[in-house]
Amino acid sequence: MPLIETQNITKRFGELEVLKGISLTVQKGETICVIGPSGAGKSTFLRALNHLESITSGKIIIDGEVLDDRENGINKSILTKQQESDILLEMGMVFQRFNIFPHKTVLENVALAPEKVRKVSKADAEKRARDLLETVGLTDKTDVYPAKLSGGQLQRVAIARALAMDPKIMLFDEPTSALDPELVGEVLNVIRKLAQDGMTMLIVTHEIGFARDVADSIVFMADGLILEQAPPAEIFANPKNEKTKSFLQAVL
Amino acid sequence: MFESILHGLRQIAGWIIPLAQAAEVTLALSVISVVIGIIGGVFIALGRISRGKILKRICGAYIFVFRGTPLLMQLFFLWTALPLAIPALTMQNRFLAAVIAFSLNSAAYQAEIIRAAIQSIDPGQMEAAKSLGLTYSQAMRLIIFPQSIKRLVPPIGNEFIMVLKDTSLVQMISLVDLMKKTNQIQSSAATALVYLPSAVMYLIFTGVFTWLFNRLEKHHARYE
Repeated sequence: MPLIETQNITKRFGELEVLKGISLTVQKGETICVIGPSGAGKSTFLRALNHLESITSGKIIIDGEVLDDRENGINKSILTKQQESDILLEMGMVFQRFNIFPHKTVLENVALAPEKVRKVSKADAEKRARDLLETVGLTDKTDVYPAKLSGGQLQRVAIARALAMDPKIMLFDEPTSALDPELVGEVLNVIRKLAQDGMTMLIVTHEIGFARDVADSIVFMADGLILEQAPPAEIFANPKNEKTKSFLQAVL
Repeated sequence: MFESILHGLRQIAGWIIPLAQAAEVTLALSVISVVIGIIGGVFIALGRISRGKILKRICGAYIFVFRGTPLLMQLFFLWTALPLAIPALTMQNRFLAAVIAFSLNSAAYQAEIIRAAIQSIDPGQMEAAKSLGLTYSQAMRLIIFPQSIKRLVPPIGNEFIMVLKDTSLVQMISLVDLMKKTNQIQSSAATALVYLPSAVMYLIFTGVFTWLFNRLEKHHARYE
């Protein structure tokens, strides 16, 4: 059973159709990178999975549970609010602009949601937060306010914060696009390690080299559609779609 | 020359206690009204940014009415209407009428201040909170409000000082505040000198509160 399955997702903003029928499956432990020109709908797709956008039609099935089954924006899924939020918790999200809470220390950022949402004790939440901060290499920054951190460090806090909720799936929305070039590597290394540890991940990225390295499968999106999906070796060596070809020529 | 200065000082010294007593009314009225106004303002602001169309309209209309009519009219209206609405009250309940009028009026202004502060917070903060599973009210309480406080403090400080000075309107409903007492002394002693200690008292209040609000702002910006 796939962890993520979407069937023919569409999304309209008024007259503009941003997603024109996206069907994708992500198996447990898979890392899928979504690439494509800007305006392709990559971020919208990712945000729709996490209910930061609501889709117009189509199905979203997470770990076998039908989260969305929509037609004209009306959800036919029979989940209760509680079931819905439980399913949403299986997905952790990392944003392009980090969205770290500036009024909380690094440790508090990571420990907050487990404590308030999972109702873990404060001591346990903080202990786990320290462990996670260690794995992203920020042991010395636990009690610092985010204003003192670099972009790369902030993004690593954001990854630890999402992991603290023990999600089964991690969604990355252009995690390195807002970073200075010299800080990209430290964030990609953390994501790479997650991939090696078997985390299921869907990553929207412009880092083509990284995608080639880490992905089990590359999805190429343009104009609200998935035009091509293939393992990196295949898609980079032998892209079938004309738009994939010209995109890859432009970025490689 | 020396004689008359001494006489003036002696006069002022005699006014201090009655003025200070009347100033208690001014201070109590300002502080209570602004505090109630903040609480009311939070709810009206939340209504204004909510998705509920009717709620949004009601809150918008509230602000429109209370910002669009003279405060003095609101004061007179409540003073005269309260005894009609609640028979247990009479027009002697001047302080209560004033507190209600100033609170309702201040809530309208503060709602706009609070709404602007909430909306100035990066929407990404709410998205991050949502993606971590926080409910709307948790996100507001733990993430959005705490960040808006430092942006709220300066305009609410201004609002407080405006209210403190506007409370002088209560003399129109014969509530004896600092302004009313000053005028009473002025007409019985037939000297403009009484405005001096009265103005100094107003300045002390506005000065102390300005200082307090500055401290508060610095405190809430400490994580930057």
